[in-house]
Amino acid sequence: MQPFDYIKPQTLEEASALLLQHNGQARPFAGCTDLLIRIERGFVHPQVVVDVKDLPGVHDLLVVRNGDLRIGAAVTMNQVALNPTVQSGWPLLAEGCGSVASYQLRNRATVGGNLCNASPAADSAPALICYGASVHIFGPDGPRTLPLEAFFLGPGRTALQAGELLTAITVPFVRGSAGHFLKLGRTTIGDISLMNVAVLGWPDSDVPSGSSWRIALGSVAPTVIRAPEAERLLSQDTSPAGLEAASQAAAAAARPIDDIRATAAYRSDMVRVLTRRGVERVLEEIGG
Amino acid sequence: MRAVGSSISRVDARDKVTGAALYPGDIERPGTVWMKTLFAERVHARIRAIDTAAAEAAPGVLGVFTAADLPFNGFGLNVVDQPVLCGPGAPSAVPDADRVRWPGDRVALVVAETEAQAAAALPLIRIQWEDLPVVTGIEAARQPDAPLLHPSVGSNVLLEYHVRRGDLAAGFAQAAVIVEQTYHTGAQEHAYLQPEAGVGYIDALGRIVVEVAGQWAHKDRQQIAAALKLPEEQVVVRYPAIGGAFGGREDMSVQIVLALAVWRLHQRGIDRPIKIIWSRRESIIGHHKRHPMLARAKWGAAADGRLTAQQVDFSLDGGAYASTSTKVLGNALLAALGPYDCANQWVDGRAVYTNNVPGGAFRGFGGPQGHFIAEMQINKLAEALGMDPLELRLRNCWQEGSIQPTRSVLPAGVTIDPVLRRLRQEMAEGGDSGIAAHRPPFTVERSPFRTSLDASAPPRLRGVGLACCFKNVGFSLGFRDICHATVELYGDGEIQRAVVRHAAAEVGQGAHTVIAQVAAETLGLPVGRVELIVQDTAETGDSGSVSASRMTFMAGNAVKGAAEAALARWQDEERPAIAHFEYVPRRTTPYDHDTAESDPNITYGYCAQAAEVEVDPDTGHVHVLRVVSVNDVGAAINPQQVEGQIEGAVAQSVGWTTHENFVQQDGRVLTDQLSTYLIPTVVDVALVKPVILEYPDPQGPLGARGMAEMPFIPTAAAIVAAVHDATGVWFDEIPLTPERVWRGLQGRTD
Ligand SMILES: Cc1cc2nc3c(=O)[nH]c(=O)nc-3n(C[C@H](O)[C@H](O)[C@H](O)COP(=O)(O)OP(=O)(O)OC[C@H]3O[C@@H](n4cnc5c(N)ncnc54)[C@H](O)[C@@H]3O)c2cc1C
Repeated sequence: MQPFDYIKPQTLEEASALLLQHNGQARPFAGCTDLLIRIERGFVHPQVVVDVKDLPGVHDLLVVRNGDLRIGAAVTMNQVALNPTVQSGWPLLAEGCGSVASYQLRNRATVGGNLCNASPAADSAPALICYGASVHIFGPDGPRTLPLEAFFLGPGRTALQAGELLTAITVPFVRGSAGHFLKLGRTTIGDISLMNVAVLGWPDSDVPSGSSWRIALGSVAPTVIRAPEAERLLSQDTSPAGLEAASQAAAAAARPIDDIRATAAYRSDMVRVLTRRGVERVLEEIGG
Repeated sequence: MRAVGSSISRVDARDKVTGAALYPGDIERPGTVWMKTLFAERVHARIRAIDTAAAEAAPGVLGVFTAADLPFNGFGLNVVDQPVLCGPGAPSAVPDADRVRWPGDRVALVVAETEAQAAAALPLIRIQWEDLPVVTGIEAARQPDAPLLHPSVGSNVLLEYHVRRGDLAAGFAQAAVIVEQTYHTGAQEHAYLQPEAGVGYIDALGRIVVEVAGQWAHKDRQQIAAALKLPEEQVVVRYPAIGGAFGGREDMSVQIVLALAVWRLHQRGIDRPIKIIWSRRESIIGHHKRHPMLARAKWGAAADGRLTAQQVDFSLDGGAYASTSTKVLGNALLAALGPYDCANQWVDGRAVYTNNVPGGAFRGFGGPQGHFIAEMQINKLAEALGMDPLELRLRNCWQEGSIQPTRSVLPAGVTIDPVLRRLRQEMAEGGDSGIAAHRPPFTVERSPFRTSLDASAPPRLRGVGLACCFKNVGFSLGFRDICHATVELYGDGEIQRAVVRHAAAEVGQGAHTVIAQVAAETLGLPVGRVELIVQDTAETGDSGSVSASRMTFMAGNAVKGAAEAALARWQDEERPAIAHFEYVPRRTTPYDHDTAESDPNITYGYCAQAAEVEVDPDTGHVHVLRVVSVNDVGAAINPQQVEGQIEGAVAQSVGWTTHENFVQQDGRVLTDQLSTYLIPTVVDVALVKPVILEYPDPQGPLGARGMAEMPFIPTAAAIVAAVHDATGVWFDEIPLTPERVWRGLQGRTD
C-alpha cells in the first residue's frame, strides 16, 4: 500500500486549505471504510489524508429549530440507525443506514462518507433523496448548500470543487409520512445492494389519490435516481391497478447494467417487485 | 468419566480463544525478511525470457528467484505436472515448465527487507510473453481441435474411467419410467479464515524449516525435498495453528517457494528468516477449487420402483494442473450411481485440463458432484413414479453384502437403510413442516434492519426435500494408506504421563482432541495426563493427510495400537515404556481401466438429510430454514465435535448450493474477493438438527467411522428437491442464485 501522511485539522478553514494546497493529492476521510480499500487496491494514491472527525459540528445529530434533522459529516451509520428520534421521525433513513454492511462496519462508516463516495449503491442516499435532504459544503469561498439530488454527478463523482468538503446534511421532516427501504442483496446481511428502492408517502388531500409520494432507486443508474412518473401515477391512483402501473413506471425509470452480480433484466424487474412491496407497506401505514 | 464418547473441550480451545495460538502469519522471528510472489496474471502463455536485473537492484531487495533457481521445477500430489515457478532455465523440470496455464501460476519471488519493498520490486521484473490460445471450460477442452494445456499428455483429458456392469439396453427395456437430464455444479472456494502464509529459516542443525499451514506435513516435506533435490532429512515441516483447510491446503502454496528462497539465500551467506502472507485475492486466485461438473444422466425404474438401468456421463473441470483430479474423479465415479443396487450400470467420467483454476480437494472430494447427479435422478424418478422419495430409496438402497458397481462386496457395516429409516422418523415428528428441527439453546436476536433477502415480503412458498449419500473413509483405489503413532509412558509405579507423537494436522476439526481421547481411553488414564507432540516432521512419523474423512479412523487405530503396545511394555516393567505402531488398513485395488472392477474403498459412512426451504417467487431468493442430518458415525468419540462437523458441513454446503457463485470468464476469476464471492453469513445458515447414529464399523477404532465430509454431500440435492416441492420447478444447475431461480420461475403457473 502506498504510504501517505495523516493530518487531523481542527478548523474548517485549515481543512479546506489543506485540500486546496494538495489539490488532487489530498483526500478527506471519515470512517475510511471506502477510502482505505481504494488506496490499498491502488485505485487512488493520495499523498495526504485529511481526517474530518475533529472539525466543529461534524458529530451533530440533532433536530434543529425548524424541525429538520441535522447530521454532521462524521456521524456514523449506527448512530443514525439506532437513534430513537431518527427511528420515529425519519424511519426510512434509519432503515437505509441500518442496512449498510455489518454492525461492526456501521460503527465506523459515516453517512457523509457514503454520500461523498457517490456510489450508485450508497444505501443512505435513496432515503435522503426521498426526504429532500440538502448537503452543506465548506470551501475556499466559505459555506454553500446544495440539494442532495444535485450533489451526485456520476459514479464516484460529486459537485465538490477543489478545496471543498462536506460538513453536514439536513433532512426535512415530512409530516404524516411513512417510508420503507427495500434492499436486494445475495446474502441476508453484508452485501452491497444489487439494487434498492426507497419509498416515502404521506397523506395529501390536494391530489386525487389522497397521498403524495417520493420514490428513489439505487444501483440501477449511474447515480441514485428518482422515479417521477411512478410518483405521479401514485398521486393519481393507489388502487391495485394504479400500484401495478406505478411499479412498472419505476422499473421503466431504471437504467441498470449487467455485471457479475446480476443482469440488467433482473434488476429492472426487481425495481417493479420492490416498489410494489414498498408502496403496499407504506399504504398500510398511512391508510391509503 | 470415560474419555471416549464424552464431549470434553478441545485441547486447543483455550489457546485459540485467548490468542495464544500462533498461526503462520503471526510468527515473528528476529531479523525476518519478507517475500512476495509474482503471479502470472496471464491465462495461457509461454515465457520467453525473464529479466530480474532491475528488481534485484531495487531498494531493500535481497534476492529474486525464478525457475532457473529450481534444481527440479515441478510438484504435484498424484501427478507431478506443475512448475513451482513457471519459466525457462531449470536444470530439470516437468514438461513445458516455461508455460503459464492460469493467472494464479507463480513466476517469480522477491525477498526484501520489508513487505512493501518486496511488493515494489515485483513490477520491475521484465517478462517476454508469448500468448497462447485459451481453453475456457469443459466443453472447449473436449473440442477435437482444442489447444492442449499439456502437449506431452497428448490430450486435454487427464483421466477417464468407465463403469461397465450388466446390460444397459436390457435394463432400459424393463423400465416403466426413464428420467434423463443434464446437470451442472459450480466451483467452490474454501474461504478459510487464514490465507496462505508461512515462515522459513535455517535451524541450528542446518536444516531448512518451513512453518506453514498444511494438511500432510510429511507429503509437504517430500515435495519440498524433491524440488530442491535435497534429502528429506534436510527439511523440517512444522505446522503451527492452522486456520481452516477443507482440502484447500493439500496442494503446495508457499511451502516450496519458502524453502527455495531460504536455501538460495543461505548459499549466498544470508541466513534470515523469510515470511510470506498471501492476500485474500492471492489466496482466491492462487489455490485450487472444488471441480465444476457437467453431467448427463439417464436412469430407468420398473413400476415397483426397482432401478433397472443407470447411465451417467460426466466431466470435471480439472483446470490447469492435475492436482488431486484423478482421485476426485475416482470418488465421483461411484458417487454418481448413489448407494443403490442396480444390475445394469454404466458410467463414463473424466477430468479435463482447462485454463481455469485447478480443480482439487474440497470436503466431499467428488462425492458432492457425483451424488448431486444420483440424488437428483432418484428424486425425479420418485416424482415420475408417483412414489415417496424415501420409500423409493429404501427399495433400492444397499444392504449388508450388496455388490458395488465395481463388482466387489461392500465393506461390512452397510447402514444406509437404517439411516434412511431414521430420517423418515425425524421427518414424521413434530412441526407443521414435518421436520422436527432442533432449536439451538439460544435465540438469535434478529436485527431490526435485516436487509437484502428480507427485503421480500410474502408470498413465500415452502417446501421439503431429501437426499442421502455414502462417503468412503481413507485413501482408496490401491493407495497404500498408512498411519504412524508413538506412545511413551512415563512414571514409576503408576503412569504419570503419556506422550503421544503423531503428525495429524489440527485444521479445526478436532483431530488432536480425538487422539488424546483415544489414547486416554486405551491407557485408562484421564485425558489430562496425555501430552501431544504433533504436526512436526522432525518429531513424529508419517500419519498421512487430514483428508478423505480418514484421520479419526486412521489415527484412532494407530494411537490405539501404539497405546496397547506401550501398555504391554509397561506391564513388562519397561520404564519409560515406548511403543511405535504403524496402522495399515486392509488393501484396496485400483479400478480396471475398462470396467472399474475393483475393491475400491476401505470402508464407508452413510448419511441422509431433509431440508426445508422458503422461496420468494418474485425475487428468487431461497432461504434454507432447517436441515435434519442423520449420520452413522460408527462411534462418536467426541459427540460435540461430531455435531460441529455436521453443522459446519451443512453450512458450507448451503453456501455451495445457494450463495457461492465462483465466476471464471476466459480463464480469469471475476470473483476474486470476498466482497464479490459471497459465502453465507450466520443468518443465512439453516438451523441444523444433527442426528448421530452409532452402528460400529468393524474396522474402526472403537467402532468409529470417518464422518466429516458426508454431511456436506446430500445437502445440495435435498435443497433443490425442497425448492421443487415449493415451486414445482426443478433446478438442474447450482448455485441457486436469486437470479437463476427468478429466471426458472418465469412462466411458472401456480
Ligand atoms: C465490507 C464493506 C461492506 C460495505 N457495505 C456497504 C453497504 O451495504 N452499503 C453501502 O452503502 N456502503 C457499503 N460499504 C461502503 C462504505 O462502508 C460506505 O460507503 C460508508 O458509508 C463510507 O463512509 P466512511 O466514513 O467510511 O467514508 P470514507 O472511506 O472515510 O470516505 C469515503 C469517500 O468520501 C470522501 N469523504 C469522506 N468524508 C468527506 C467529507 N466530509 N467531505 C468530502 N469528502 C469526504 C473520502 O475522501 C472518500 O472518497 C461497504 C464497505 C465495506 C468495506
